[in-house]
Amino acid sequence: MVLTVKNLCVQYGDKVAVQNLSFSVGKGEVLGLLGANGAGKSSAIAAILGIEKSDFEELTVLGKSPLTERKEVFEEVGVQFQETNFQDRLTVEEACMQWRALYKETQPVDALLSTFGLSDKRKQLIKSLSGGEKQRLAVMLALLPNPQIVFLDELTTGLDTKARRRLWKQLSLMKENGLSIVLTSHYMDEVEVLCDHLFILREGITVASGSVQDIIRLSGQETLENAYLHFAGEEE
Amino acid sequence: MTLFWTLLKIEGKLVWKGMDILIFGILFPIIMAAVFGFVMSKEASAAGASMFEISYPAVVCIGVLATGVMGVPLTIADYRHRGILKRFQVTPVSPLHLLFAQVIIQLSAALVSFIGVTAVYTLLFDYELKGSWGLFLLTYAFVVCAMYSIGIFIGSLVPDQKSSNLWSSVAYFTMLLFSGATIPYEIMPKIVQWVMDSLPLAHGIHLLKQVSIGDPIQHVFSSIGILVLCIVIGLGCAIRFFKWK
Repeated sequence: MVLTVKNLCVQYGDKVAVQNLSFSVGKGEVLGLLGANGAGKSSAIAAILGIEKSDFEELTVLGKSPLTERKEVFEEVGVQFQETNFQDRLTVEEACMQWRALYKETQPVDALLSTFGLSDKRKQLIKSLSGGEKQRLAVMLALLPNPQIVFLDELTTGLDTKARRRLWKQLSLMKENGLSIVLTSHYMDEVEVLCDHLFILREGITVASGSVQDIIRLSGQETLENAYLHFAGEEE
Repeated sequence: MTLFWTLLKIEGKLVWKGMDILIFGILFPIIMAAVFGFVMSKEASAAGASMFEISYPAVVCIGVLATGVMGVPLTIADYRHRGILKRFQVTPVSPLHLLFAQVIIQLSAALVSFIGVTAVYTLLFDYELKGSWGLFLLTYAFVVCAMYSIGIFIGSLVPDQKSSNLWSSVAYFTMLLFSGATIPYEIMPKIVQWVMDSLPLAHGIHLLKQVSIGDPIQHVFSSIGILVLCIVIGLGCAIRFFKWK
C-alpha cells in the first residue's frame, strides 16, 4: 500500500474535525475525499502530511511515517494545498528552480511547463498570472518531484473547462504509470472521471465510501451529484 | 550545497528587487554619514574624541537595524502568512533553510551598508579608527547577533502580518531615534539618556564607541550582559514559540 490511514482523528480544542477516518490507497489508485466546506477534508490531508496534530492507530506513507521519517517520505510525495501562495516578486521560472533544488530527482521542468501550458509564462511574475494559471503552476510543482503519491486539494478550482480536461488527461496518464492520488473536489464530473474510491465526509465523520457506482447505488439516487448531496447533507 | 546556493540566489533576487533594503538599509545610512561628516564638530572634546569620530560606530548600526529588526521579522511573518513555510514543510527540506537563506541575504545588505558608511567616513572625511579594527569588527558582529536575535524573536512571536509590521516598526524607530544611531546619545538630556539606557542598541553603540576610540574597556560589562541577554532570550523564545503556519 502506498498510503495507509487507520482511525485518524483530528481535534481543534473541543471541535472534532476528523473522526476515525480509515482508508488505504494502492499504487496507481485515486482516492477522492468529498464533503462540504468544513467537513474535514483539508484537515485530514494536513494530518496525514504531519502538519496538523492527530491521533491514529496507523499512518504510513510508502511504508514510512510521515511524522518521523519526513526527509525520505517527502522525497516521493507531492502536495498541492488548497491555496498556494508564493513569495512576492517570484517568477514562474524561479519557482521551478527553487522547487527543483529541494529534491534529489525531478521531472524535466521544460516538458512539465509545456504540458501545463506555462512555457510562455516563464519570465512572468507569479502574482501577474491568472487564477487558473496559478493553480496549474501549483499542481505542476506538486508533480515536479515525480512523486509516487500526490495530494491535490481542490485541484481544478479556478480552471476553465479546457484546462480542467487537460489536467484530467495528464493525471490519468500519470495514474496509468503508477501514480497514486488523493484529491478533494467539489466537481462531481471530475470525481467520476478520476476517482477509483470515494469517501464522503460530513462533520468529520465518514458517511459513505466506495466506488462511484457503489455510492450511487447506496444512495438510491440516479447521479453521483445527487448521491453526494444526499450523503453530504447538502440536500435542499 | 546546490540547494542552499539556489535558495540564496532566489531570496537574494527577491530582496534586492524590493527597494526597501536599498533605501532604508543602504542609502539612508550613507546619506547620514555624509551629513554627519559635514555638520559634526571634528574638535576633540574633553573625553578625547570628537563628535564626528563617535558618530561613526553609531551610523554603521543603522543598516543592522533596518535589516535585522525590520527586514527579518517582516519576511518571517510574510512567509508564514502566505503559507510558504507550510509548503516547504511537506518537502524533504526544512523551511529553516529558506529562513536561513533570507537571514544571510539581509546580513549581506547590512555589510554593504557597513562598507558604504565606512567608505564615506574614511575617504571623504578622513576618519581614522583609533582603536583596533579587529576588535571593532568583532564587536560589530556581536551587535549584529543581538539585533538579529531581536528580529527573529519578533518574527517568531507575532500572530500575523499586521502585528509584525507594528512591532518591528516600534522596535526599529525607537532604536533608530533613541539609541544614538541617528541623534547622538551625548546631546540628549539626562532623562532621555536614562530611557535610552534601556534600549539594547544603545548598549551596542556604546560598546562600539568605546572600542572605536580605543578607550580601555570600562563600564562595558553591563552592556555586554544586556546584549548576551537579548541573544539568549530572543533565540530561546524563537525556538520555543515558533509557528510554521
